[in-house]
Amino acid sequence: MLVYTIKRFFEMIIVFFLFLIISYLLFNAIPGNAFSSLLLNPLLPPETYQRTIETFGLDKPLFERIQLYIINFFKGDFGYSYIYYPRTPIELIAERLPRTLMLFSIVNVIAFYTGFLVGKILAWRRGSKSETWITIGSVFSYTVFYPWFALMMLWFFGYKMGWFPLGKFLVPEKWYDSPYSSDEIFYTLILFTTVTSVFLFLIFIFTRNIESLQSRRNSRFVGLIILFIISAIYWSNGEASLQRFYAADIAYHMILPTFTVTLVAFAGTALLTRTTMMEVLKDDYILTARAKGLSQKRIRDRHAARTALLPVVTSFIFTIITIIDGSVLTESIFSWPGMGQLILEAVTREDIPLAMASFSFIGILALIAHFIADISYAFLDPRIRVKVEN
Amino acid sequence: MENNNQDRDIKATLKKNWILFKQSKLGMTGLGIVIFFGFLAVLQPILFLTNVWDEGVYHPVVGYDAEKVARTIVECPDQYPTKDYQTREDCPKVDEVNIRYLKAFNIDGDVGDIYESNVQPAPPSRKHILGTDSLGRDIFSQIMEGCQVAFVLGLISAIIGVGISTLLGTAAAFYGGALDTYLMRQSDLVLMLPSLPFLFIISAFAELQVWHLAVVLGTLGGLGGSVITIKSQALQVKVKPFVDSARITGGTRRRIMFSHILPNVAPLALLYMVFSVTGAIASESVLSFLGLLNIDMSWGIMIYLAQTEGFIFTGLKYWWLILPAGLSVTLLAGGFYLVGRGLDDVFNPRLRRR
Repeated sequence: MLVYTIKRFFEMIIVFFLFLIISYLLFNAIPGNAFSSLLLNPLLPPETYQRTIETFGLDKPLFERIQLYIINFFKGDFGYSYIYYPRTPIELIAERLPRTLMLFSIVNVIAFYTGFLVGKILAWRRGSKSETWITIGSVFSYTVFYPWFALMMLWFFGYKMGWFPLGKFLVPEKWYDSPYSSDEIFYTLILFTTVTSVFLFLIFIFTRNIESLQSRRNSRFVGLIILFIISAIYWSNGEASLQRFYAADIAYHMILPTFTVTLVAFAGTALLTRTTMMEVLKDDYILTARAKGLSQKRIRDRHAARTALLPVVTSFIFTIITIIDGSVLTESIFSWPGMGQLILEAVTREDIPLAMASFSFIGILALIAHFIADISYAFLDPRIRVKVEN
Repeated sequence: MENNNQDRDIKATLKKNWILFKQSKLGMTGLGIVIFFGFLAVLQPILFLTNVWDEGVYHPVVGYDAEKVARTIVECPDQYPTKDYQTREDCPKVDEVNIRYLKAFNIDGDVGDIYESNVQPAPPSRKHILGTDSLGRDIFSQIMEGCQVAFVLGLISAIIGVGISTLLGTAAAFYGGALDTYLMRQSDLVLMLPSLPFLFIISAFAELQVWHLAVVLGTLGGLGGSVITIKSQALQVKVKPFVDSARITGGTRRRIMFSHILPNVAPLALLYMVFSVTGAIASESVLSFLGLLNIDMSWGIMIYLAQTEGFIFTGLKYWWLILPAGLSVTLLAGGFYLVGRGLDDVFNPRLRRR
């Protein structure tokens, strides 16, 4: 097991090395560079361009640049962004990443939960009329042309009904005399959401083993009400009562993107759950559970859904990696200033240090997730574990 | 003689599978949708060749038709809402024209008169079933052109992708060792690249035509995640008894791989192929929607035009610019997905009803 892990770790480093080189070559292959526009400005003397290029080291040969970049990368120096000059890529990512993570982690959790519920019901009601209609609905939202759908949602709820703002992440007018920066408020929001979700999760975990359905539902309800009261107390006291107004502004801007992406994202989980659950329902132990005379609901929720959850959770882990990649479209349609927009800007304006830093950030995230998935497979599934040990 | 028997066997299997496929209602619906769009894609060249459609009028890219529409001249009020109009956007209605607009172009007319003008985008009429776009081009013809693009792109990229991933996945499972390690790390590398920004970069230094995009998408899909799935399927086949008996009777490794393992991986590969068509159609539409492709006309470009020309927020007033293209992408992708679902029922006995 240890040998396998170490071997895998070294492979990972080599893959990452190759990834850095390939990305650099790709960015270099784009014609022109970030400063080409200086040449077009008639007010600047011609040597400005040359001098800028020399300052940023872009006149050096390609091989030397890659070498320098990789050496500096492993020293922890990512250079300066070209388009936001005095700022470093790390600062920029630290500013943008929470916005993306906040939006998409909420979306993913809701989508995963509803998707799992819908998929469970789909598999259980196989052959009924409601199954057909729900399936058609989920297939529609799974294959819908996403930018078109998002624009339609924006048009309907933002423009026609006027319920939600048309993109952006705050209303600037409200923030003129704000004592807080938007990032401070955002961190408060993130902290609040995280703590609330942890409590929510704990409530579900603790009430899970209550046998009677009635009392389980009641205790969950009481837990939710307590959580609600505590959060109401939090927002009406101390510093939070001053931040409340601004936090509400950001939260209001988040509703429509969250809703839209959830509508599109839940279908994948639902369809996957349906398939795995239907395979599980053919297993013998379900027949045994039926023969024992357990209630339908119990068989569905405790026996079948629990087993069907495993592959779904795996796919959920892999969706988390694609969050940043998938955020590019959403963020440009809803003008949400997050990671996706940053990458888009870096790529289209050829800001190599920024683009490299964000690409390698995504790459590291993906590598770690694959690594964890591999290791946990080997750990959880005895068949693979035995093979590795031999 | 033996060949004949094999033929009959294949025919019997196909027939059995077809009967199974027919049982899945959604699969049949999907097949119907795909055939409908395939019919549209083939219909357009036929209409041009038989001169039912004049290329000058109906060509999806360079065609032009000045649609004459009689409109009532009205004067838009300054205050809203009034009896006829709720908001400023409602005036003039589709069949009306504002008198101030006419005066700005020095055209005479009084309120209540009929003014005949060329309109682009023109609403659906008998001549143009789905109306015309803002340059006077027939939307229905554009939809048909988009079908051709979607089919060519989807099928080519799916075939390339599945070809690559089936070969590599089976080889990784069968030979194992260094080859397996290399192929798995290679697919890690491909999965690490964020796909949309990667395609942006590609489109920045290469003029992407449909063919190129199909090859790029196919290769990316083929080297990425599907290798891992196909490999795990092939691993399951590899330990089956018939592979062992083939080895004992002296089959070469290549023969075992190509005539024993590959045919058993093929159903899953076919399934993957159908599902990846969905992905390819969506990717093409997204890239054209962002204006990054060098394609004359496609569904994505139709929506891109509707958005850049500002029609998307007019909502249902110009529905023929927005709805047909978006729904076509969704329907065709959904059709392929449903076909895949039907095939899944056929190949995976545990999903069947009985």
